[in-house]
Amino acid sequence: MSEMRRELEDSARKVFPDWQAAQDAKASWAQMAELGWFMAGVPEALGGLGLERRDLAVIFTEMGRARMPGPALAQFLALEALVQAPDFPGREDLMESAMAGEAITASLTIAGEDLTAVPDADTADRILVRSTDEVTLINLAGAKITPFPTWDGSRRLFTVAPAPDVPRIPLAAGSEAAALTERLDGLLCLGLAGDALGGADAVLAMAIEYLGTRRQFDRPLAMFQALKHRAADLKVALETATALYEASSEAAPLALGAMKAHCCEVYKQVAEEAVQFHGGIGLTVEYPVHLFLKRAFLNRALGGSAAFWNESAGDAVLELAAVE
Amino acid sequence: MTQEDDALRREIRDWIAREAPRDWRTASTHEAFVASQRSWFAKLVAAGYAVPHWPREWPGGGRSLAEQKIIYEELARADTPRLLLSFVSTYHAFATLAECASAQQRSHYLPRILEGETWCQGFSEPGAGSDLAAIRSRAERRGDVYVVSGQKVWSTMAQYADMCLLLVRTSADGPKQAGLTYLLMDMRLPGVSVRPIHQIQGDEEFAEIFLDEVEIPVAQRVGEEGAGWAVAQATLASERGLTLMELSYRMRGAMVRLSEAVHAAGRTCDAGVLRKLGALATRVDAVCALADRFLQKRMDEDERVGDASIVKLAYSRCLRAWTDLGVELADLAGQMHAPITFGDLNSGNWMADFMNSYAWTIAGGSDEVQRNIIAERMLGMPREPKNWITEAGQ
Repeated sequence: MSEMRRELEDSARKVFPDWQAAQDAKASWAQMAELGWFMAGVPEALGGLGLERRDLAVIFTEMGRARMPGPALAQFLALEALVQAPDFPGREDLMESAMAGEAITASLTIAGEDLTAVPDADTADRILVRSTDEVTLINLAGAKITPFPTWDGSRRLFTVAPAPDVPRIPLAAGSEAAALTERLDGLLCLGLAGDALGGADAVLAMAIEYLGTRRQFDRPLAMFQALKHRAADLKVALETATALYEASSEAAPLALGAMKAHCCEVYKQVAEEAVQFHGGIGLTVEYPVHLFLKRAFLNRALGGSAAFWNESAGDAVLELAAVE
Repeated sequence: MTQEDDALRREIRDWIAREAPRDWRTASTHEAFVASQRSWFAKLVAAGYAVPHWPREWPGGGRSLAEQKIIYEELARADTPRLLLSFVSTYHAFATLAECASAQQRSHYLPRILEGETWCQGFSEPGAGSDLAAIRSRAERRGDVYVVSGQKVWSTMAQYADMCLLLVRTSADGPKQAGLTYLLMDMRLPGVSVRPIHQIQGDEEFAEIFLDEVEIPVAQRVGEEGAGWAVAQATLASERGLTLMELSYRMRGAMVRLSEAVHAAGRTCDAGVLRKLGALATRVDAVCALADRFLQKRMDEDERVGDASIVKLAYSRCLRAWTDLGVELADLAGQMHAPITFGDLNSGNWMADFMNSYAWTIAGGSDEVQRNIIAERMLGMPREPKNWITEAGQ
């Protein structure tokens, strides 16, 4: 494990030791800014920490473990867009305020889709809008913002229609926009995959702890081999997905999408079983295991569907063969 | 990727182009397959690619993880034969000799392995599979020899082996693990007979070994009498995980066969098929990444109890899914009986590949045993009470 990774994990877990620690969205947003997370991916020359994608990947996992509320993932996309964009007047100020925590939101769906699944659009000043033709920052003043309440509830999502005559800052156009959009979609997938793995790890630990304490038939449930084997299978799936995640932070967008589909499926599988392991109590709203199940399903639906990514990955396998 | 890595990749690629056998898939008899295995191993030894996982003092040993990856990637990419015949000798026998044997045993046997002496493993018995410590093959000490009688089963390629890693019972007292002793047995000794096992896909990769009053010199013992269980752990640990990187890369390299199957079935536009193919390709990538990470951890001495079980389970289940998709794509045509390619896991003869995949879900610690290890020793879930017979009798 690299030194940087250990530092990032340690500091994150000190501030957000578990999912409860991050539930006050406003406070956790300030804590993330204080930890320097929004500066992490920005090059030092532009005032950031100059960390690499694999370091951001550690942050994403910690966000999932803490079931982090707020628009942090959108903020990472906006910062990446600003970093990649050619210089323009006011860029430095924008970047500085974004690194300090002024929220810029963005859709958590992949490009080409409408401005849906936009976190915290009601409080953000600007939205990053990306397509294969152009990437722009649009002021949200006067925008039509419609709540999109989700089962998850940890992310506050909205559908957005910006007002027609508000200021827009173009960041990229033409082929540059296409490349940037692809890059941002890849980052979104990396973020969602990390979130999924962090969440899966937390909910699996929660379930195994419960199996160890709950007693039936004069023994802890954890002693039953039927449950052990299912827990072991979940652990294998999680470790395998984690290895792929750690090896993929610099991967091409398609590989990141396929990886996201894989990791989100694992999160859903782990969370689904975790609820089952808890038995009746897992169905009560007071018990937190359902929170992870709901986030798992939402993650799976964000950043492009599994069907889309798997089909694309399948196409790539066919092409590989054609080259041979 | 450093310049040295690039150079090694070019070097091995050129070497494979010159030296690798191309006709091994068409070997129509076991003898022809075994002959091709022997000559391929000899070539790899001469070129220094046979034992990259051995220490530096051996020719071809002391390779870094990055170098091992390159070697296995290139061997897989070129669809070269897997080293089946020398697998036990270069992994199990090597680790046992290196870690537990006397200096004399080491200096006698290790060079012979590189010269082509092959080993098999005599551990499992009809009554001792997952419960390995229940071994009943009996060794009785008479002067300078142990006289051994019993039966071993599931010994990979024992019918072609020169030597055997043999685990036997020298005492029936105390815990069953404490009565085991580890011997190095010459397969040519009087009283040793071998019978190949006819497997469901037509291969004869495994054999039974029958031992009838075999006299094995006491000097052939590894460790003390009664310390065989600990030595056996060293043998088994050598395999766990290490070879799975190569196998994972071979599975990834063979994705092309699934692609060919999609083309052959005329289903290149079938979204359902493409989704399964894509999801499987990502899973295979994940298994490769897991095997990489495991080896790195092992080299960094950062391995956790249960890590090897995770790699094995991830690989074995993925291999099953890989072959399953092939059988599905081949549809009715895949049900037509086709002769097998000996010793291959990713041949594209889908029914044979599917049946062969059980070798990885059962052998070397079944999936079920691996799940117990992960649950109990990694996740900390408690063991079941041991004496169920006593309890049931109450």
